[in-house]
Amino acid sequence: MAAALQIKKPVVRRRINWTPYLFLLAPLALYFVWIIAPTFYTIYLSLTNWNGVDPVPGFVGLQNFERLFTKDRTFSEALLNNVRWLVVFITIPTTLGLGLAMIFNNEMRGGRWYKISFYSPLVMSLPVIGLIWGWVYHPRAGLLNGFLQAIGVSSPPGWLGDRELAIWAVIIAAVWRQVGYVMVLYLAGLKNIDPSFVDAARVDGANRWQLFRHVVLPLLAPVTTIIVVISIIDSLRAFDLVSIMTRGAQNTQVLANFMYIEAFNNYRMGYGAAIAVVLFAISLVFIGFYLSRVIRDELEY
Amino acid sequence: MSRNKWFIAVLLISIALLSVASVLAQDNSVAFNSYSSDPVPRAFEESMVAAWNEAHPDMPVQHSIINHEDFKQAIRAYLIAEPAPDVLTWFAGNRARFFIDRGLIMDISDMWEAEGFDEAYAPGFNALATVGEGKYFLPTSYYWWAIYYRPSLFEKAGIEGEPETFDQLLDACDKLNAVGITPFTIGARFRWPAAAWFDYLNMRTNGPEFHVDLMLLKESYLDERLQATFANWQKLIDRKCFVESPAALDWQEAVDDMVQERAAMYLMGGFIVDSYPDEMEDDLDFFRFPIIDPAIPVGEDAPTDGYFIAAQARNPEGAKAFLAYLGSKEYQQAAFEQMGRLPTRTDVDISGATPPVQKGIQLIQSADYIAQFFDRDTTPPMAEVGMDGFMRFWDNPADINAILQDMENERLRILEEESE
Amino acid sequence: MTTVAKTTTPPGTRTAAPAAGTGQMWGRAGLYVFLTVLTIIWLLPVIAAFITSFRTMDEISINGFWSVPQQFTLSNFNEAWNQARVSRYLGNSFIITIPALIGMLFLSSLSAYALARYKFKLNLPIYFMFVAGTMLPFQILLLPVFRLTNALNLYNTHLALIIIHTAFQMGFCTFVLRNFMRTVPGEIFDAARVDGASEFRMFWQIMIPLSLPAMAALATLEFTWVFNDYLWAIILLQDDTLKPVTAGLATLRGQFNTNWPVITAGALIATLPTLIVFIFLQRYFIQGLTLGSGK
Repeated sequence: MAAALQIKKPVVRRRINWTPYLFLLAPLALYFVWIIAPTFYTIYLSLTNWNGVDPVPGFVGLQNFERLFTKDRTFSEALLNNVRWLVVFITIPTTLGLGLAMIFNNEMRGGRWYKISFYSPLVMSLPVIGLIWGWVYHPRAGLLNGFLQAIGVSSPPGWLGDRELAIWAVIIAAVWRQVGYVMVLYLAGLKNIDPSFVDAARVDGANRWQLFRHVVLPLLAPVTTIIVVISIIDSLRAFDLVSIMTRGAQNTQVLANFMYIEAFNNYRMGYGAAIAVVLFAISLVFIGFYLSRVIRDELEY
Repeated sequence: MSRNKWFIAVLLISIALLSVASVLAQDNSVAFNSYSSDPVPRAFEESMVAAWNEAHPDMPVQHSIINHEDFKQAIRAYLIAEPAPDVLTWFAGNRARFFIDRGLIMDISDMWEAEGFDEAYAPGFNALATVGEGKYFLPTSYYWWAIYYRPSLFEKAGIEGEPETFDQLLDACDKLNAVGITPFTIGARFRWPAAAWFDYLNMRTNGPEFHVDLMLLKESYLDERLQATFANWQKLIDRKCFVESPAALDWQEAVDDMVQERAAMYLMGGFIVDSYPDEMEDDLDFFRFPIIDPAIPVGEDAPTDGYFIAAQARNPEGAKAFLAYLGSKEYQQAAFEQMGRLPTRTDVDISGATPPVQKGIQLIQSADYIAQFFDRDTTPPMAEVGMDGFMRFWDNPADINAILQDMENERLRILEEESE
Repeated sequence: MTTVAKTTTPPGTRTAAPAAGTGQMWGRAGLYVFLTVLTIIWLLPVIAAFITSFRTMDEISINGFWSVPQQFTLSNFNEAWNQARVSRYLGNSFIITIPALIGMLFLSSLSAYALARYKFKLNLPIYFMFVAGTMLPFQILLLPVFRLTNALNLYNTHLALIIIHTAFQMGFCTFVLRNFMRTVPGEIFDAARVDGASEFRMFWQIMIPLSLPAMAALATLEFTWVFNDYLWAIILLQDDTLKPVTAGLATLRGQFNTNWPVITAGALIATLPTLIVFIFLQRYFIQGLTLGSGK
C-alpha cells in the first residue's frame, strides 16, 4: 500500500501502470466477495448433501444431479414450466412489442400517452402485479370471471386454481409486464435506423409490408437478438410471480421457486444448490451467446 | 497529495461496504416472530404483547407478525440464521421435531421446571413438549377440527339431524345438491385444507394406528389400505360434494361461500369462527366427521399450537422470561375467553365456556386417539409432496397410482437421508 | 446491441414522415379507435384495481365486480397506510434503495473509468466478467449470500440488502457507464494532465460531470429495479419492521385475505414512488432501459 502511494508521475520506463487497478480495487473486491465467490460456492454445494445446519457439508459427487434428472417429478414439472415460460416470452411479447413499436414510431397525436399506457406495467413491482392479477383471476368476484358470468358462461374456470390453466395465467401476467419493455427497446432500435435506407426502398416502389419485411426487420435484427436473450434470461429467473400467485402449487412450479422450497423448506441445501446450478448452466448458454456478441463488437471497435 | 486523497477515499468506501458493520447496540429486547396474521389472533397477540411491554420496559418485546403462510416457509431460514429471532410461534408434533432433531430449538427444561409448568400442564402436553431428556416446546393452546355447517341450509335441503355415518353424509350431499347448494366449500390455495380430508378419511377408513404409522413413515404409501381411503374420497367427488376449483381460494375466502349461502359445509378447524361474521354465528354449528367403519377407534385432529426459543437466540434469558408469560395461566385464560382456544394448563377456568366450545371439548374428549394434523404429524418434505399429491388427486382422481408412487418415492428418500 | 448502447442522445430523425391523403384519414381514425380499445384492455387490470380500492368488499361480494358502485370510500387507503403499515414499509424501501443507488453508481463509475480510459492486460476480461454477471440467475447466489450475511452479522439488516444490490447491479452499471465514457474524447483529459491534474481529479472533476446524463438515466432505472426487489428482501430480512414494501405487500394478503379493496389500495400506494419517478423522469427511464439493454 505504501508503494502504491509513492507513485508520483508516470515513469518513462515500461512498467505496469497500477492506476486502473486502483480504480478497480473496491468495485472488484465487492464483486468478488458477493458475486463471483458465491457462484463458485454454490457449485461446490451442489456436490454435497449439506442440510444448512451441519458445519461441514458431506461430499456426494453428482448424486444430486442424478436424482434431479432421473427421479424427481417436481423437477421435470418445473423445467417444463420454465420452457413454457420461455417459449411464450420469446414469441408473444416480441411480436406484440414490435407491432406497437411500429405503430408508435410514426408521429401521431397523443402517441406519448398510448406509449405510457403500454409501458407503465414496467414500473410496477412483481408482487404488485401478482396481487393485481390475483384479483383479476379471482374465481368469485374477480374481473375476469365477473365478465365471463355476465356474458353467460355459467361455470367459468378457476384460473389459478386450475392445474391446466394456472401456469398460463401466471405467464400472461408476466407477458403483460414484458410487452412494454420490448416495445421500448424496439422503438429505440427504430430510431437508430438510417432513414436513407427506408427512403431508398420507397423510391424503388416498395409497399409498406415489403418495407417492413425486407428493410426494417433485417435492420432490427441486432435489437431482436438482444430482446430474445433478455426474454430467455428473464423467463429463467421467474420467481416473484409464482411465489406470490401460487407458491408453486397447482402445477406452476418453476426452477427458481423449487430451488427455494428444497433449500429452505426441506433443508436440502445441497440439492437446492444443484437446482440453482442447472438454472445457471442453462443461463450460461445464453450468457455465452450474448457475450460472444459483445466480444465481437469490442474487437471490431 | 491529491493522489493519496483519492486512494484513501476508495479505500474508505471499500472498507465501509465490506466491513462487518453491525454495531448494533446490545439491548435487552426480545425478538418475537409470530404467524398470527389473521385479524382476531393478531389483535389478541398485539394486546398481550402491549401488556408485557408496559410491565417490562427494560425488556421490551419486538413483535413481528408475518403472514401465516409466509411464516411457515420463512421460519426455516430464520432458524439457521444468526441471530435467529428469540421466540417463535410454531406447531407441536413432527413439525417441531424436525427442528429439534437438527438442533435448532433450545432446550427449555429449566424454564419448565422453574415456572412449575411440569405440574400445571396436562400430562399429554408435557409429553408433546418432550424429546428425549429435554423439553423444547411450550404448547399453549389447541383446537378441534370438525365439519362446520349452517343449520338453516340443512333445513332448507330437508336434512334431519347431523350426519353420523358416511352414508348419511353422502345422502346429505345429494339433498343439498338437489336444492342447488354446494355441499362442501373448501379453500385449498395453500393446500393444507385438503390434507384434513385425507387425515379424516384415512383415520375413519383404516384407523388411527395405521394413520400414525403412515405419518411416521413406517407404512408404505403403496399399502392396499390407502386405496380404500382414496376410494371413499372418490365417492365424495363422484357425488359432487365439493365446490368447483377448490384450489383457487384461500381458506378464508371459502368461508364466504357459506356466509353467502352458496355452500353448506366446511371441514375446518375451530379457528373458522375468527373469520366468520359474528352476527351470523347463531347459524353456524359443527359435527364430528362421520363414522365410516364403526369397528374402528375414532381419531380426531386436534392440533396444538405453542412457542419455542430458537437455539441461536440472541437473548435466551429474556426469551425465557417472555415464554413464561406466554405459558402463564393468565395468558391462557385470556386466549380461552377471547378466542375460544382451549388451554393446555389444567388450572385455567373453563367453566365460562360457550355451548360451541363445550361441544368442541366434548368432541375431543370422546375421541380414542388425537392426531395433530397431516403437515404436523409427518415430516416437512413428506408433507410438501403429500399435499401436492392430494391436490393432484382432487384434479384427476384417475391418477391415484402415480400420485401414491410419488409419495412413496419421497418417503423412501427421506428414510434414506435419515439413515445417512 | 451496442448499436443501442453506444448512444444516449436520442436522434431526432423519424423513420417515416406523416403521410397525407383522404383515404389515410379514415385509416388514421381507425388506428386511433383500435389503439384506444387496446389501451383500455391493456390497462384493465390496473383500472380494476383502482376502482376496487375505492369500494367496499361487502358491496363487491354481494353485487359482483361489474356492478355500478354505490359509494366510494377512501378508508381502504387509510387502512392500508396505517393498519397494514404500508407507510413503514415504504420508508424501508427508500432506506434500502437510496444508499444502494449511490453505492452502485459510485463504485461502477470507478470501474467504468478504469475500463474506458486505460489500456491494460486485464481490461477486456474484467469488462466481460461484469457483462456476464448482469445475466446471472439470482438463485446461484442465494445460499452463499445468505451464509455470508450471517457470518458477517449483516443478516436481518438493511445494510445486507444495500450491499447485495450494490454488488449485483454494479455489473450492469459498469457496462453502461464504460460504454458511455468511451465516447468522451481523450483530448479533454490531455489538457488537464498538462495542467498537472491527478488521475482522481480527472475522474472526479471531468468524467463524473460529463457522465451525469448517463448516470441519471441509470439511476432512474436502477431505482425501480432495486425498489421492486422481492427475493432478496424475503431471504435476508426477518423483522417485519425492516421489510421493504414488496415484502410487506405479501403480508397484506395474509392480514386482509378477503378484503381485496384494502389489498389493491396497498398495492397502488406501493407503486406510487416508482410511478412518480417514472412520470417525472420518463425520458431518463426510457434512456436507461435502452442504454444497455443488457438487463
